[in-house]
Amino acid sequence: MSASPTGKTRGRLATAMVFLGPSLLGFLAFTIVPLGLSFILAFSNWDVRQHNMFKGERIEFVGWENFERLLTHPAFYQYLGNTLFFMMGIPVAIVGSLVAALLLTRDLPGRQALRRIHLIAAGGLVVALGVLSLTGFAPSGMTLLIVLLFGSILVAGVLGRSTVYRTLFYAPHFTAGVATFLLWKKMYNPQTGPINTALAPVVSTIESIFQWLPPAAGTVLATILLGLGLAVMGLFHRRLGQAWRDAEVGRGGLWALTMLAFVPVLLGWQWMGGSWMAPFWVVGSMLTLGWWVLRALREKPFRTVSAGQGFMPLVLPLTGAITGALICIGLAIVAAKLPAMAASGDLTPPNWLADYHWAKPAIMIMAFWAAVGSNNMILYIAGLTNIPRELYEAAEIDGANWWNRFWHVTWPQLAPVTFFIVVMSVIGGLQGGFEMARAMTQGGPAGSTTTLSYFVYIEGFESGRLGYASAVVWVLFAMVMTMTLLNFKFGNRNVND
Amino acid sequence: MSHASPSSPKVSGMRYHVLLTVLGLIMTLPFVWMVLTGLKPLAEVANESWLPSEFQWGNFAEVFSVIPFFQFYWNSLFVASWVTFLQVVTSAMAAYAFSRLQWPGRDKVFLLYLSTLMLPGLVVIITNYQIMIHLGLVDTFIGLILPSAFSAFGTFLLRQFMLTIPTSLDEAAEIDGASKWRIFLDVILPLSRPGIIALTIFTFVGNYQSFFWPLVMMRHQDHYTLPVGLLFFDSEVGQSTHLLMAAVTMSVLPMIILFVFLQKFLISGIQLGGVKG
Repeated sequence: MSASPTGKTRGRLATAMVFLGPSLLGFLAFTIVPLGLSFILAFSNWDVRQHNMFKGERIEFVGWENFERLLTHPAFYQYLGNTLFFMMGIPVAIVGSLVAALLLTRDLPGRQALRRIHLIAAGGLVVALGVLSLTGFAPSGMTLLIVLLFGSILVAGVLGRSTVYRTLFYAPHFTAGVATFLLWKKMYNPQTGPINTALAPVVSTIESIFQWLPPAAGTVLATILLGLGLAVMGLFHRRLGQAWRDAEVGRGGLWALTMLAFVPVLLGWQWMGGSWMAPFWVVGSMLTLGWWVLRALREKPFRTVSAGQGFMPLVLPLTGAITGALICIGLAIVAAKLPAMAASGDLTPPNWLADYHWAKPAIMIMAFWAAVGSNNMILYIAGLTNIPRELYEAAEIDGANWWNRFWHVTWPQLAPVTFFIVVMSVIGGLQGGFEMARAMTQGGPAGSTTTLSYFVYIEGFESGRLGYASAVVWVLFAMVMTMTLLNFKFGNRNVND
Repeated sequence: MSHASPSSPKVSGMRYHVLLTVLGLIMTLPFVWMVLTGLKPLAEVANESWLPSEFQWGNFAEVFSVIPFFQFYWNSLFVASWVTFLQVVTSAMAAYAFSRLQWPGRDKVFLLYLSTLMLPGLVVIITNYQIMIHLGLVDTFIGLILPSAFSAFGTFLLRQFMLTIPTSLDEAAEIDGASKWRIFLDVILPLSRPGIIALTIFTFVGNYQSFFWPLVMMRHQDHYTLPVGLLFFDSEVGQSTHLLMAAVTMSVLPMIILFVFLQKFLISGIQLGGVKG
């Protein structure tokens, strides 16, 4: 009698194994076993140049040597920096996806709007013909092409509604791979690519403007741009102060965020070198940071939050602000140099992928193109359609305008989706960049586009230092795990309630 | 849908049509340049006008004579089809075991599967490559296909889907005397069709695009898949931008067509794997 239940259990297990068997075997053979092996490898000196069928030196365990060598290797920090720099595009891409999703979930007028389309098409045609006659019908083919494309997308959009636009937005993500990376590589070509061909007249206009303006114009423009950068950071500092006062963020979170807010200060200092802008930028940043944080610290808030609370929800706006500030800094540096360059006549469009400073932005622009209409946009569309209408109706009765409705209804309701997207983007971002580096830049110029994953490829498959490469992989893995745990510990404040 | 729609959507809605059209046009422009450059003579690539003086349809044919493009195409389709087939079969069977069968240790094994979803692919790729060397499978299609024939993500996705199927259906079949295998084939599989189609597209496109593993595994030019072949093409005859763009067009186009026709399934699959995860 007692054998029967165990027999039944065994029978159930046998049935389950028939179904699970193939998957489990593969899972063990190609995930679990390699995972364990790779951990062991990370502590060995396995190098295919030393340990192969012709040269059979013994593979030895070297303890933490690989990790020590890695952490004292300056290039590692450059590659880590590159990876983090690329990851600053994540908040921008997420915002892009959200904006696209917001536009796509609008109630777009359908067929009944067709008569209006005729008007717009006619207007477009008139404008196009006007442009054509002004430019002497020279680039007529191009203008007609653009008008034609515009018209057909508009008509298709009216007939097919948001599905048409969604398809157009999603296509770059769906096809993203070596093929589209090579496409962008050719588009970025400084001599033959369409991007610089299109930029050439713009740049020469800028050149003649700056030749005509007094030399001080560059300084003024740079100051304005730096001021804009300070305003962007200041907005975040203010938000940080508010979050502290309203007990959204704990003590540890406040300090960690304040430290991170120094990243653009230091980067800006480094980029500006010995120029007058460096002290201006650093002192300005200190003033806004000091003003808002000290102001908030003076008020004693009613405090129930744990130290680390509120860190993750503010990291997204922080990285967004840093990205904005860095764009302003970059433009300011260019602006400060403009008069001298215009005077000597060597103002040219950027060399993009061949230029140490432009290679990263070039890849980020391409990545933005591929990421706006990604799965994130689809998830946001689903999230937006699931928000109960009553919430908006209630807000409307309270007299909330569009902006208020967005911040107090839409954004909190989307928190679970945003949380999921952030977790996945961070995991993807830390291990990303290999395909772009391999297909577009070979990690160059001077290592400026080498990310950690490309570093693993070089060490593991080109240099053949398997032990060392495994150590890099495990450091990367540890970072992924840490970020994920941080996300889960501090990120889901809004998710569960 | 229209949570924030203004009071008179018909008037202001047109604005959004125009705005979306402009954005859609910007997203499309790289593809337009790609197709048109693929039709240009080499001398016109750097021209300001994107339009060729005459459409050189011969570029597309020339790609096949300059590199073994047809072979690359075939290899990609061959590998992607096998991987997709094997992965969908193993994932569906495993998902059935996780969602419908009762057995000791089930939740622990599932947790193990789940925890590897966060695992960076890089962690296992070096050791997997060494395993392939020892098995003598480097530069073979078996070596390329085998590690991708199993997927924790696919199992997870289909399990989520199967959990939405009411259990009363298989209970009824069980009372009628159907075996577990029958229930799987005749009840669960047909009802999981949308999930299976979504997984099929994900896996197929993912493998058609897959780059790292074929790049390190394949040595002979005859064994290259499309992405590796395109890279090889770029490094060999990178100056022939018009031919490269013709090749890129031919590798991108099938995916766009696939997406246009199957987007309904894809989108529900993304939402299933994402929101519930």
